[in-house]
Amino acid sequence: MNSTNKLVEEIRQRFEIIDVIHPDDQQVILDIDKMHLHTLLSHLKADGFRQLSLLSAVDWIKDNIFELVYIVFNWDTGVHVLARVKLPRDNPRFRTITPIYPGAQYYERDVHEFFGIEFEGNPMSYKPLFLELWDEMPPMRKDFDPEAYSREKFPERVYVPHFVPKVEVIE
Amino acid sequence: MMKNKSMFSPLRAWKYLVKEPITIPMERIFDHPREASDNYRGFHVNDWDKCVGCGTCGEICPTNAITMLPIEGLRETDGHKPERPAIDYGRCSFCALCVDICTSDSLSMSKEYLHISKDADSFYFLPDARGMHQTAFDTAYSRDEVSELLDLERYEIQEIPHENRNLSFTELIKGYSREMALAEASRCVECGVCTYTCPAHMNIPEYIRSVWTEDLKEGAQWLYETNPLSNVCGRICTHKCETACVIGQRGEPVAIRWLKRYIVDNTPEGDFVEAATARVSRQVNGRVGIIGSGPAGLSCGYYLRTMGYEVDIYEEKELPGGVIRYGAPEYRLPEASVKADIDNIERAGVKFITSTKVGRDITLEQMKDKYDAVFSASGYWIPRKLKIDNVDHPGIRFSPHFLAEARDFTRGKGPMPEFHQDVIVIGGGDVSFDVARTLNRFQLMTNARAIVRFIARKPEEHLAASREEVVEAKEEGVIYHLDRSPTAVLVDDKGDIYGVEVAVCETVVDDRGRAKTVCSEEKEIIRGTEVYMAVGNDPDFVYFPEEMMEALTIENNKIAINEKGQVEGFEWLFAGGDIVRGPDIISAVADGHQAAVGIDEYLMNRKK
Amino acid sequence: MKEVKLFLGPQHPGMHGNYSAHMYVEGDIINKSYALPGMLHRGFEKLMERRHWMGNLALIPRICVIEPDPNEMVYAMSIEKLAAIEVPERAHWIRMIILELARLAANLMSIGGIGAPVGLYTSVYWGVADRDLILDIFEKITGARVYHMYIVPGGVRKDLPEGIEEEILDLLDYIEGRLPEFYDLVMRSPIFQTRTRDNILLPEEVVWELGVTGIGMRSAVNREYDIRKVKPYARYDQVEFSLPYGPYSDAFTRVDFKYIEMAQSISIIRQSIEKMPKDGPVRAKIATGSALRWQVPPGMVYSCVESARGEYGYLVVSDGGEMPYRIAVRGSSYPQGLMGVEKYLPGHRIDDASLWMDTMGVCAPEIDR
Repeated sequence: MNSTNKLVEEIRQRFEIIDVIHPDDQQVILDIDKMHLHTLLSHLKADGFRQLSLLSAVDWIKDNIFELVYIVFNWDTGVHVLARVKLPRDNPRFRTITPIYPGAQYYERDVHEFFGIEFEGNPMSYKPLFLELWDEMPPMRKDFDPEAYSREKFPERVYVPHFVPKVEVIE
Repeated sequence: MMKNKSMFSPLRAWKYLVKEPITIPMERIFDHPREASDNYRGFHVNDWDKCVGCGTCGEICPTNAITMLPIEGLRETDGHKPERPAIDYGRCSFCALCVDICTSDSLSMSKEYLHISKDADSFYFLPDARGMHQTAFDTAYSRDEVSELLDLERYEIQEIPHENRNLSFTELIKGYSREMALAEASRCVECGVCTYTCPAHMNIPEYIRSVWTEDLKEGAQWLYETNPLSNVCGRICTHKCETACVIGQRGEPVAIRWLKRYIVDNTPEGDFVEAATARVSRQVNGRVGIIGSGPAGLSCGYYLRTMGYEVDIYEEKELPGGVIRYGAPEYRLPEASVKADIDNIERAGVKFITSTKVGRDITLEQMKDKYDAVFSASGYWIPRKLKIDNVDHPGIRFSPHFLAEARDFTRGKGPMPEFHQDVIVIGGGDVSFDVARTLNRFQLMTNARAIVRFIARKPEEHLAASREEVVEAKEEGVIYHLDRSPTAVLVDDKGDIYGVEVAVCETVVDDRGRAKTVCSEEKEIIRGTEVYMAVGNDPDFVYFPEEMMEALTIENNKIAINEKGQVEGFEWLFAGGDIVRGPDIISAVADGHQAAVGIDEYLMNRKK
Repeated sequence: MKEVKLFLGPQHPGMHGNYSAHMYVEGDIINKSYALPGMLHRGFEKLMERRHWMGNLALIPRICVIEPDPNEMVYAMSIEKLAAIEVPERAHWIRMIILELARLAANLMSIGGIGAPVGLYTSVYWGVADRDLILDIFEKITGARVYHMYIVPGGVRKDLPEGIEEEILDLLDYIEGRLPEFYDLVMRSPIFQTRTRDNILLPEEVVWELGVTGIGMRSAVNREYDIRKVKPYARYDQVEFSLPYGPYSDAFTRVDFKYIEMAQSISIIRQSIEKMPKDGPVRAKIATGSALRWQVPPGMVYSCVESARGEYGYLVVSDGGEMPYRIAVRGSSYPQGLMGVEKYLPGHRIDDASLWMDTMGVCAPEIDR
């Protein structure tokens, strides 16, 4: 935690951080208001966090929010920062981070496809990526039931057991 | 390595032109397939003799490849379902989690890995010990203690300290803490084998899941589904379910009884009352009279109330409960637990008419006229006497009366029964241990020293009593005289008892595992000034009029009934509990429930 | 010249997995190209939310066929962090052996497979055949050849079978002897060098722009950027190894580095076999009860390892239940496989497209998930 404490201290001085969690020695989770995310990421990038490792989302359906997780990595210190912002689940939209991390372009497209979160400023993100001719709600949302979907779309294969169990009556 | 280009360096590969290819030629694949490793996860093999049909393999299967097929010819028995896993190799991912979690150690995987067919159905397969193609293959992947996916050891329940616990009647078991209950509940695999074995067929996996999800109100509802005496059964049930539990195949069974107790002890009172009363029906379908307020009577009364009948339960003693109020001692079954259960039954609308003995204060004929149906569960209250000399001596005391007096004392309703300081208890079952341990407590509560001598015909390992009774009584200082059969109570010139004469016996187990006790001519004298006999009880059928007695079929003190609890030849009369089946409380609860259903059916049909 | 639409893949010897690049070509020069993933999308992330923590073990290795073990490792690491479990010492070393064997197998496949886009099929067969020998070892240790399900939360699933150490060492000697033959066959071939030297460059800015990791990154940024070094997991901090890096990343260098890395993997395995405790526990319990009711304390954690293609990570979210709440997979080749194809493939020749895929280590299944 020592290696990340200084980093957190520094960030706290500049940004209003809602919560800090240390899942391990070289990892910090920062909860931040979505207003400040872009400045935080710009700051981090200038501070050595040059790589965007992953951008993904979590559907907290009970709280009716989407949580976006931006994972950036500093190759020199080996520290991962997980910056998290919360979006309302109804009509979720957010600004793109592609000006800061151009590599986010496909991650945003991915998140848009699987969660339905729109990224303003990234026109590419509206195009479908993995799911061709998808006709249901974004599938990674918690209220999407893949089993029901497949029952509806695909025929059920019924197997006829054509072995006859040879069992002597056990008394 | 040199990085410069060279036209010739690739040509070095030409040396392989003259070498044997390392690939397996097509024609050899079927005749001489490559042998798989000793650890290989090939097709399943299932040892049907070991398999108990619990279906845990199907539960863990991440691809839903396993279905449990009912097998004709197999019978459902305790701890054994007549089902076997069938595997769909169109789905199976050969992860072997089924092998790792197999409760009975019957599943493993073999070295066989080839199956080619145009028929998709042939990939759906019921494995047995002979493998996919009924050809023997070596067993390969099997579970070991590292890959184990079950939790085989029980989590310990809190008990009061062993020292000095016999100085009072404080309950011995404190119960599970929240953490321990959750840990114990997490061991369950929800196979439901226990439900079959439980005489009352309680929804055991369901209520354990309620403990696991910490929804105790739901747990209480599950309990009341089949058993209105969960407080009692959570403490002193004979827990046959635990002998059936599949975790017990390789480890210690789930502590089902203690988990039930955890629910009753920890459900908020309001929720518990609601669970009991919510199912009670308001409509009135008829009136039923019940003889005896023991477990069978209570259970029958409660379930009749849920079906909308008016119920009166007649009890000879002052308080309702029968054996649970006047039998089991306080340190095993505290008064508060009994009261909680019975209060809930009363809240459900069952009416108790106490201090009223059928046959004395009201006749059976009067009951027949007053009610649409009668359920008799009068129990076993006449103590049995050994056929030995001086057995009618007034100094000999019997378990039902003594335990009833002891209970009255511990609940503050009576004086401490009188007893001597040097006593002998004759028995071997749980009740005799209740007597011995109660006496031991009384003696220590009034005196610094206790002498309770315990005589039984069998050695320790063959006693009918449950194991913990035998161990705990010994710890508390009860002196054992085992392998001894009483032949006479010894009385001196003044007419006072001074001991019991016993014959030395030996119990031998024959080749078939049957134990036989043979007593020799050799005699011993065990000294003591008072003798307590706890060798079983008999029913009291005096309330049956003579002509009925003649018409009843009674064998071995049990009244014959049909599967609905109806007494043969008397369609208005139902019976249950010790007088038809026995031997324990949970069976009585089951009888009561079954009779309630039977009575409902009988009355509904009669109306039509 | 007229612009022609051309699909490379999904079925093409130059493509790795069912994956396609949609290209607009003029002559043999690519003008525009788009990645067309999705042919292998199996909904892993969704499926994982609907299975027990243990049941997912059957699923996760299938995310990457060539090198499945990093999946198991990051999954196990995440759960261990969330549940604060101490992995037994011996298990750490066994995991390292497994991970390096897997890396070796993946690299063998890759240095052999590079023959396909340049038309040198001998090396493909060699690569696959020698990889099979590693799979034999896997079969003996784990019971399966490709999807091992061996690295489990808390340790490893079973202890090593007796005598396997010698077999591994023998195999390492064999592979070490084979590497020069591969090198002579492929790397020194004038045709191969013409195709790869100074071709398909990966400048440092592009590395940062896309987020490329692994050999591609190390060969471009001139730093030893490897998760094993920067953020050691298992017991990588207790073995000696050094990884190749350089400032100039062309296709040749990237393949060349794989040879050096393989030598390093061999060295790591040898050290591990020597240093690991000879006995002791190999698995810690992650929760009480049967595997059907294992629960992981609530929380979020990101774990990553260095796969043969770069940073491989899982973001694992638990709500305290019997199944994961959410798992997001960072496939190592996601940046170069999607955005790289779109932005940096144009300008190259058609036949270099598959060289891009190959030397950048694009692995379709981990992109699609």
